[in-house]
Amino acid sequence: MISKKIILTGSFGVGKTSLFNKFIYNKFDEKYLTTIGVKVNKKVITIDEKEVSLLLWDIAGEVSQDKIPNSYFLGSSGIIYVFDLTRPSTYKNIVKDIDYLKNITDEAIIKVVGNKSDLIDAEKLNEVRNTIMQPWDIITSAKTGENVTELFHSLGKAFIQ
Amino acid sequence: MDKNSGDQKDQILLRQLKDILLSEDRADIKALQDTLESYDLLSAHVSPIVKDHLQSFRNNYPEEFRKIVAHLIEERAKRTEESIGLINALIDDKAQLSEKVSPIVVDHIENLKQNFPKEFTIVIDKQIETKLKGSQDEILNIITPVLGKLIRKSIAHQFQMLKESIDRKIKSTFSKQGFFGRLFKSQRKNSEEILSEMDPVIIEEVYVIQRDSGLLIGSASKEKTLDQDMIAGMFTAIKAFVEDAFKRKNEELEMIEYDHYRIFIQNFYSYYIAVAMSGSISASEKGQIANRLYDFAESELKQIPADINDSLNSRISEKLKNYFFDTEQVLKSA
Repeated sequence: MISKKIILTGSFGVGKTSLFNKFIYNKFDEKYLTTIGVKVNKKVITIDEKEVSLLLWDIAGEVSQDKIPNSYFLGSSGIIYVFDLTRPSTYKNIVKDIDYLKNITDEAIIKVVGNKSDLIDAEKLNEVRNTIMQPWDIITSAKTGENVTELFHSLGKAFIQ
Repeated sequence: MDKNSGDQKDQILLRQLKDILLSEDRADIKALQDTLESYDLLSAHVSPIVKDHLQSFRNNYPEEFRKIVAHLIEERAKRTEESIGLINALIDDKAQLSEKVSPIVVDHIENLKQNFPKEFTIVIDKQIETKLKGSQDEILNIITPVLGKLIRKSIAHQFQMLKESIDRKIKSTFSKQGFFGRLFKSQRKNSEEILSEMDPVIIEEVYVIQRDSGLLIGSASKEKTLDQDMIAGMFTAIKAFVEDAFKRKNEELEMIEYDHYRIFIQNFYSYYIAVAMSGSISASEKGQIANRLYDFAESELKQIPADINDSLNSRISEKLKNYFFDTEQVLKSA
C-alpha cells in the first residue's frame, strides 16, 4: 500500500469539508461550519486490487499566498481545487489560483472541481462553462454524492499508474 | 571465475583478434574475385588497347581466360592462407603475441596515465555532479544526524567552559560567598534529582514523519491511540503553520506542550521525529533524548525513499519499537 497526500483547497463555503466528509464518512450536513486552520483525515481506497492510503488535508479559506502557509502544499501528490458552481466569486480568480498552485507544487496532479451541481440546471451549467477560462475536470455534489467517489478514485488511479 | 570459463573467454578474444587481423586480406580477395569475374569492372581499369586485346582473348579462348582468372584467385588465396597460418601461430604462441601486443598496451596505458585528467576530468566531474544531485536527499539524511551531534557536543563543551570560568572567578573573588553558592547549587541539584525520581520522563509515542508531506514513515507507541497517520498529518500542519506564521527562516518548532505531556520534535533533512512524553523533563534529559534520536537516525534512517509504502512503515515502526520501547522506557535523569 502506498500513501499519498491530497490537499482540498478553494474559496470559503465552496464545499471542501462537505466533499471531505462525504468521501470519508458518507455524511452530509446542511449546516455550514467554517474550518479553522486545517483538518487532516485518512481513507484507504482500492484501485485495481491495489490499496492506496489517501491522507486528505482540508484547508480552510482561500488559495492565497498571504492566508495559507505555502508549506501546507509541499509534498502533496494531488490538489483538489473546488469552486462553487452557483457563486461566480469562487471562480473569478481560478486561472490565477491554478497558476499559483502549479508554481508551488512540482508534481502534484491538480483536479479542478465544480461543486454543488445539485443546485444548478443544465442551462446554467453551460453558462458557467462558457464563463470560466479554466476547464474543469469534474462536476460534483457533496449533497447527493454525485461523482464524489469518482473524484478521489480518479486521483488514486493516477497515483498507481 | 573458474578456469573453463576463463579459457572460453580467451578463445573468444583470440577469435576476435584473428578476425580483425584478417579482415583486410578477406576484403582484398573479395575485391579481386569481383574484379576478375566481372569483365566490365576489369575493363574499366585498363587502357582501350589492352581492353580490346582482352575482349578478343576472352571471346576466342574463353576456357583459357577462365583458367587464368582461377589461377590468379588461387595464388592470392594461397598467400592469404600463409598469412592466416602466420597469424594463427602468433596467436597460439602467447609469449610471442604478448611480445608484439604488450608494447602497444603499455604505450596506451602510459598515454592514458598522462592524459587521463585532461581527457576525462570533465566527463568524470559531470558524472559525480549528476550522481551527487541524484542522491542529495540521501547524503543530507546521512549528514544531518552527524552534524546535529557535533553541534550539540560543541555547544555543551562551550557551556562547560563558560561554567568553569565563572566558577573560577567566583572562587577567587568571593571565596565565602562562593562556598554558599556551591552549597546552594548542590542543594538544587539534589532537589532536581528528587523531582526527577518522583516524576520520571516516560516516552509514550514516537513518530518518524516525512517533512513536507506529513506522511508517516513509521511509529511506535506504548498504547494504541488515534490513527497515527492522522496524528502525523496534524503535527505537520501545526508545525508548518507555526513556522510560516512567524516567518523565521531556519527556525523550526521544537516542542509542543500540553498539561503533563510534551511533544519533542527533532528535525532532520527530509523527515522529523516527534516524541510524545509524560513527566517532568529537565534540560539535560532533553539533551539525552535528542542524542538518542540522533543515534537512531544515524543507524536506522540513512536511506528513506520519497515514496512511502506499507513495508517501509512496518520496517521503521519495528525498529522504533525495539529501540524505544523494548528496552527501558523511563529516561533516567543525567
